Amino acid sequence: MKTAQQKPSLVGTGVLLVGAVYCLIPVVWVLMASSKTSSELFTTFTYAPGTSLFSNIADLTAYRDGLFWRWMANTGLYAGAGAALSTLVSAMAGYAMAKYRFPGRGALFNILLAGVLVPGVILAVPQYLLFAELGMTNTYWAVLLPSIISPYGIYLARIYVSASVPDEVIEAARTDGAQDWRIFRSVVLPMMVPGLVTVFLFQFVAIWNNFLLPYVMLGDDKLFPVTVGLSGLLNQGAQQPAMYSLVIPGALLSILPLLALFLLLQRFWQVDLAAGAVKS
Amino acid sequence: MRRTLRGSLVTLTVSALLLSACGGSSDSDAAAGDEPRKPGEKVELNFWSWAPEMDKTVEVFNEAHPDIHVTVNKQDGGDPAVTKLLTAIKAGSGAPDLMQAEYQALPTMVGAGALADIKGQLGDDVQGHFAEGTWNAVTLGTDAVYAVPQDAAPLMFYYRADVLEKLKIEVPTTWDEYAAAARKINEDDPKKFLGTFSSNDAGLFAGLTQQAGASWWGIDGDAWNVAIDSEPSQKVAQYWGGLVEEGVIDNTPMYTPSWNAALNDGSQVGWVSAVWAPGVLAGNAADTEGKWKVAPIPQWNAGESVTGAWGGSATAVTSQSKNKAAAAEFAAWLNTSAEGVKALASISNVYPADTQNSAAALSEPPAFFKDQPDFYEIAAGVSGTVNSFTYGPNTNVAYSAFNDAFGKAATAKKAAAFGEALSTMQTQTLEDLKANGFNVK
Amino acid sequence: MTSVTNDLVSATAQKDPPSGSRRARIPRAPYVFMVPAVALFVFSIAIPILYTAYLSLRTVKVEGLGLGPGARTEVWAGLSNYGRTLSDPDFLSSVLRVLGYGLVVIPVMLGLALLFALLLDSVRVRATRFSRLVIFMPYAVPAVISSLLWGFLYLPAVSPFTHAAEQVGITLPQPMAPGLVLFAIANIAVWGGVGFNMIVLYTALKAIPSDLYEAARIDGCSELQIAWRIKIPIIVPSLIMTSVFGMITTLQVFAEPTVLRPLTNNISTSWSPLMMIYRDAFTRNDIYAASATSVVLAVATFVLSFGFLRLVQNRAFAQENR
Repeated sequence: MKTAQQKPSLVGTGVLLVGAVYCLIPVVWVLMASSKTSSELFTTFTYAPGTSLFSNIADLTAYRDGLFWRWMANTGLYAGAGAALSTLVSAMAGYAMAKYRFPGRGALFNILLAGVLVPGVILAVPQYLLFAELGMTNTYWAVLLPSIISPYGIYLARIYVSASVPDEVIEAARTDGAQDWRIFRSVVLPMMVPGLVTVFLFQFVAIWNNFLLPYVMLGDDKLFPVTVGLSGLLNQGAQQPAMYSLVIPGALLSILPLLALFLLLQRFWQVDLAAGAVKS
Repeated sequence: MRRTLRGSLVTLTVSALLLSACGGSSDSDAAAGDEPRKPGEKVELNFWSWAPEMDKTVEVFNEAHPDIHVTVNKQDGGDPAVTKLLTAIKAGSGAPDLMQAEYQALPTMVGAGALADIKGQLGDDVQGHFAEGTWNAVTLGTDAVYAVPQDAAPLMFYYRADVLEKLKIEVPTTWDEYAAAARKINEDDPKKFLGTFSSNDAGLFAGLTQQAGASWWGIDGDAWNVAIDSEPSQKVAQYWGGLVEEGVIDNTPMYTPSWNAALNDGSQVGWVSAVWAPGVLAGNAADTEGKWKVAPIPQWNAGESVTGAWGGSATAVTSQSKNKAAAAEFAAWLNTSAEGVKALASISNVYPADTQNSAAALSEPPAFFKDQPDFYEIAAGVSGTVNSFTYGPNTNVAYSAFNDAFGKAATAKKAAAFGEALSTMQTQTLEDLKANGFNVK
Repeated sequence: MTSVTNDLVSATAQKDPPSGSRRARIPRAPYVFMVPAVALFVFSIAIPILYTAYLSLRTVKVEGLGLGPGARTEVWAGLSNYGRTLSDPDFLSSVLRVLGYGLVVIPVMLGLALLFALLLDSVRVRATRFSRLVIFMPYAVPAVISSLLWGFLYLPAVSPFTHAAEQVGITLPQPMAPGLVLFAIANIAVWGGVGFNMIVLYTALKAIPSDLYEAARIDGCSELQIAWRIKIPIIVPSLIMTSVFGMITTLQVFAEPTVLRPLTNNISTSWSPLMMIYRDAFTRNDIYAASATSVVLAVATFVLSFGFLRLVQNRAFAQENR
């Protein structure tokens, strides 16, 4: 794309780099702060590195027999399994709505899409009461089940199917005698992969970010995801000091896997789906 | 004394009300709801607690009691735990058997039907382990017993001994002396303060008004009254508002990274806090180890000796527990037996409410105060002087009103605004009680 | 799943026109495909919403002192919870505050996102790979954690900015002072959102066939002119979509002010409508009032976004609903 004869724009490059620096400010800070003991954290100049990154991480690992790593594993489970199931459910629903004509299709789509507008805070209490009714609070399911449905994911899947799976391919498979489920599994799903990676990543981030649902649903801290666990270390009530020297390295460690996932899946990610723009 | 007398009158009316209200339902007799225990079968109990290392404290109990096994679920702190418990009660399932509950939350929890009356399951000797005011907090002045007191939290005054010495300031014994000391410290270095007024800590402010003689709620016959905007509370609000207006006391909240830094670098050189403060100071201001000392809280009238409380909690049995008798047995062990109290003090680092066993359990001063060998003698001295105070069924409403109203006042830095904030709190708390249909006088 | 039949061979495979005569046969397969989504939707969203609506019409009635079992009973409240919500000055000011907040966040966030996207797309700008990655990175940081980090940077006693400014003798304004706190919260939202929107707009820009503006370039148009006259008009639909999604998340602002609240006197427990709902439901234990406020807020969001829904469908599905 870049042509050599174009003179580099100093202003443009400068503005872009200022933006990059702005985005790096808190990240560099958390990197520096993670290496400080709690007294260094509150005395030394905050952008100078400290001396004890590894001992902080060791302390964090030692905290109640490695509870932090269990939180990380839980987060991986909630976000990973939740997003995977959500992607499958969204793919099925999106495919059905994009490629079949059936009574109730428009109404179903409108109702599902209206779900995008409902904030999680509003749902948390009634969801809790419902799960309690079933005796399912304080279990992995209490966080997993509500995370599977993603109106936004269904919307994305529908857009992607209609833009990237030609009707002719489905018809050809059908002429060969393939049944609906088989067509979906062997023909449509493989063609949807780039779109589904996107749905997966969106939902992964959404579950990773959802603080309130696990906070309300879970009483046993062995089931906590990392965000709820870390917030607990900060808000211990008046009688306990906040454990900043554990929380800050914890915050750093908790964003690393997500960054790695992004780097890994970056090239499959079709963010333009979010704007409804699909190249055909 | 007047209050105790009225308290016992109240007890009669309230217990009559309670009897008529529950009409002999299964909840009125906790043990009746228990599942029958087969001999040799192990009872499993769940305990929500936020005290540090509570699982290790409980281990002591589990080892000595082969027929009961208690599992601790660590909670984030008093308020979130109450929220979760009340939601579980509303939902009808999901509550633990046992719950550590702060004293100010007990009326709310009792009102929501969250706690079992364990009077029948406790031995007669339990009451004798606690000071009268502490025991009142778990009976709410009724005939029932809703919890066993776990830790007490009398207010004391912590100060940087080295700083006061350098400026030749005597340790203040009255609030006038405290104000004078605050002025002197701030004059010497405008970045230094003897304390801060925190709009985030309603519990501390309640304790300070308690010392001045306020009781924010009261039971009058079969009605509640709200006395947040009372003369003693106004005195406390105006006093702190005046110091903030003068600028000799800081006005930013406590428990923030800023506040930690200020404690650690010596900008905050005093803290009115409770007996549990050493743990917080050790965690937040590690660099100042050995520089702090404790004294009784300054008094409104010279020569008096009264204090308030900030925090403190009890062990309660929830109404959803299926093993209330075993749960009550554990609560009694934890808070009244020599081993239980010792484990609480030495493993979980709390200041036990028990008055009989705590002296033996607390022979050493906290590590952060190792140069003050009489730390726990001073604490024991003041813990008998806690003023009586009644919490209401909507303490949480009053506390969140405090956050908002006093947040504005602290920013405004006007003593008059502090007084107005108090009446805003009074109005909101009273309106909330009325809106929910409580009898209010 | 295995029992899905091939009803639709006749239903859709033969590509009848929509007004065709085969309407009588209703395919089964699409319904089967929809079952998991609909079941989960009903369970996790629809029932909780209906339950919220029910709770908003209920209240608790207390007998006497309200102590002891049986002293509280749930009763019908009619519309009184709604009356309380709509007449509560705290609620009205939180709505106005959040609208003001949206007027700051959305233009700034999308303006920056558009600027960065255009720069990434410009042939004369360097360091694009690095910048794209770094500006996008905040999207990976949960709001609870980013607010914690910014909170540290805002507090004068621990902030590197205050420290650096003091070295050169400047006193910086405190970001969480009464007049600035809205901007302090907006900054966290902008920080977290600008990269994601930048990528969305950048992808839209990349989809523009380059011959559209190569000619303009040869004619001597500057990059600025190309951006303003050609690129921006083409990606207007993407800009509309990102604004609407920005609007929805703005109205739901919750995590940032909640995490910052304990650090300052200037964020009340009812700063945003969702904080107020949270306070009523969880701190004040009044889920009835919280439910009524929830319903009001949900209806308001719905009305605001209704136009958007129509827009999305007309645009995105125009080609499909032939």
